[in-house]
Amino acid sequence: MSKIYILVVEDEPEVLDVVVRDLSSLEETFPIEMAVSVKEAREIIAEIEENGDKLGLAVCDHVMPGEMGVELMIDMQKQPFTERTRKVLLTGQAGLDATVEAVNHARLNRYIAKPWDPEELVKIAIDELTTYVIEHEKNLLPYLGILDAERLNEVIRSRGTVSDH
Amino acid sequence: MSTGNPFESASGAAREIKSSDAFRTRQIYNKKVFVERVREMMSQAPLLMKLRFTADVGQVLIKEGANNNSLYIILDGYVAQLKNSFESNAAIDMQGPGDFLGLLSFHTGEPAFTSARASTKVSGLKVNHHEFDEFNSKYPEISKVLQGLVFSNLSERYRRVVTLHIEVDHLSRQLEEERNQLQLTVIELEKTRNRLINQEKMATLGELTAGLAHEINNPASALLRSVDYLIQKLPEMLQKAAEQTDTSMVRFLFDAGTNRDYSDHITHRELVKKFSEKYPHLSRAQVRAITMMNKETYQRIRKYAESPELNDVLNLLIDSYQAGSFMNSIRLSTSRIENLVKSLKSYSRQSGNKPEETDIRNGIRETLMILGNRLREIEVSVNLPEIPTVMCNIGELNQVWTNIIINACDAMKDKGTMEIECGSEGENVFVKISDNGPGVPDNIKSRIFDSSFTTKTAGGDFGLGIGLAVSKGIVEQHNGEIRVGDAPGGGAQFTIYLPAKN
Repeated sequence: MSKIYILVVEDEPEVLDVVVRDLSSLEETFPIEMAVSVKEAREIIAEIEENGDKLGLAVCDHVMPGEMGVELMIDMQKQPFTERTRKVLLTGQAGLDATVEAVNHARLNRYIAKPWDPEELVKIAIDELTTYVIEHEKNLLPYLGILDAERLNEVIRSRGTVSDH
Repeated sequence: MSTGNPFESASGAAREIKSSDAFRTRQIYNKKVFVERVREMMSQAPLLMKLRFTADVGQVLIKEGANNNSLYIILDGYVAQLKNSFESNAAIDMQGPGDFLGLLSFHTGEPAFTSARASTKVSGLKVNHHEFDEFNSKYPEISKVLQGLVFSNLSERYRRVVTLHIEVDHLSRQLEEERNQLQLTVIELEKTRNRLINQEKMATLGELTAGLAHEINNPASALLRSVDYLIQKLPEMLQKAAEQTDTSMVRFLFDAGTNRDYSDHITHRELVKKFSEKYPHLSRAQVRAITMMNKETYQRIRKYAESPELNDVLNLLIDSYQAGSFMNSIRLSTSRIENLVKSLKSYSRQSGNKPEETDIRNGIRETLMILGNRLREIEVSVNLPEIPTVMCNIGELNQVWTNIIINACDAMKDKGTMEIECGSEGENVFVKISDNGPGVPDNIKSRIFDSSFTTKTAGGDFGLGIGLAVSKGIVEQHNGEIRVGDAPGGGAQFTIYLPAKN
């Protein structure tokens, strides 16, 4: 079975550390990859694709040296492999422009302002990953214990009904 | 007609003049009529023909300060009356047909009050004392008419003086009014300028705030989340550690965590892969944590990683390591925030304060720190050797560095290299800020500091585009100078000179 990855892109190691730690409850089901730049993120994405795995969620800082987070997200939106990846922008910058651009061009799913509430971050990750698995996975049972069970059950029920006929 | 006495036939002409209406009315001095009459008289009296004179353009008839022995009556052409004043040889009046010249100096014998110089070709009559006396004694009638004319001429001059006075008075009043108006305008302009400068400052501040939010939110996040983690984990860790017979490993890993360096993630990923295959009993989180440790730490923890039975101890050790690492994060984040706040405080020191003896390099460093977010993709090389101090308002100078650096960022579209250096030159210190952007075209170099000049379009970028004008004003207030030139290898170079404190 192919794995569904979470990718965290953040140029500051201390911040990257805490984001990953906050998401670590999901790690056993959704392996977490870390990148400190957009360049590194692209390499990781390519590798995930090569291995035949999937990228379910990308949590990305915006202001980074080199390319900006939004640029990566727009790019991901253009690639078939990452088009359906759930995209979350995590930024400390109050600027509206980047957000508008991300929403309009990158189909950004969520925007989280720094500093964030860890429960909120995990909830958003669960929400987005639930949407992702519903769209991509046939067998939803393995995710019942970790993602949004209510939504998953509903889909499982409706799928069951469909297959009954 | 006799030629023996030149005045012989003039009496007839004089009588004619006397009887003429034009000379009896109040407008007795009708110049046109007078000229016509004199011409008539001339055609009849050869004596008058003898008194004829002509002058070419530029010819001086009467010289100011010199004695004048002739009375001139202009019949044709114009003569400028000149007075040597403080500044120039000013033309104060213009005499034309029918006017007398040299009337006062001729009669009083005093040196001429003004000069007379022909502005055009001039013709008329010129009478000396001898001729005048002869005229008086032999032709009292004509002389009487002439005296009347002279009197009219003088009274006209007097009237003109009075009119002139009134006019001068009127003009000075108007001038006074205009001056007051001008003063009001200047005050208004000054107010507008200050308002613009303030708006520019606020705009800069807005720009800075957006960047600062990011600069502070990042360490604040790390700080907050690290503390959360420790609050949550520490009690459990302490309890578990207490159960261990030997806590030196816990201590060792905690210390290792506080000294952690951040590995590069590509090699880290390879390690993760290798580890996961080698130790399938380890969870991903465990593998991730172990692979982040350096070789020495790993060697110490290895036996716990290899044995599934020691998994609980391994978790405690990993937690200790992470606790140490979060402690380190807290220290780093706190000092980053502290430095930012310090810089901000000193950066934004209010202008209007008294100048202080300052090492301006501190202000440059603070500005760079504050603008760090904007400079992320710009390679900044800073060369600030020791320089003499400067009496200045550091907050205002910081505004100058900020404006120039942000301008450079704009010009380079936030990607490129920037060089900042300082030094001393004679009595001055200088700061040079160069970029490798497109540079400033020669034809706008002279206008770039004008407040009316901007390359910024409405709504674009930040600020009002008067940053350089504001900078120039600030530098000049410090008795300094700001110049723009070309950086070696293209780009713009701004140099600010400030007088060193002796």
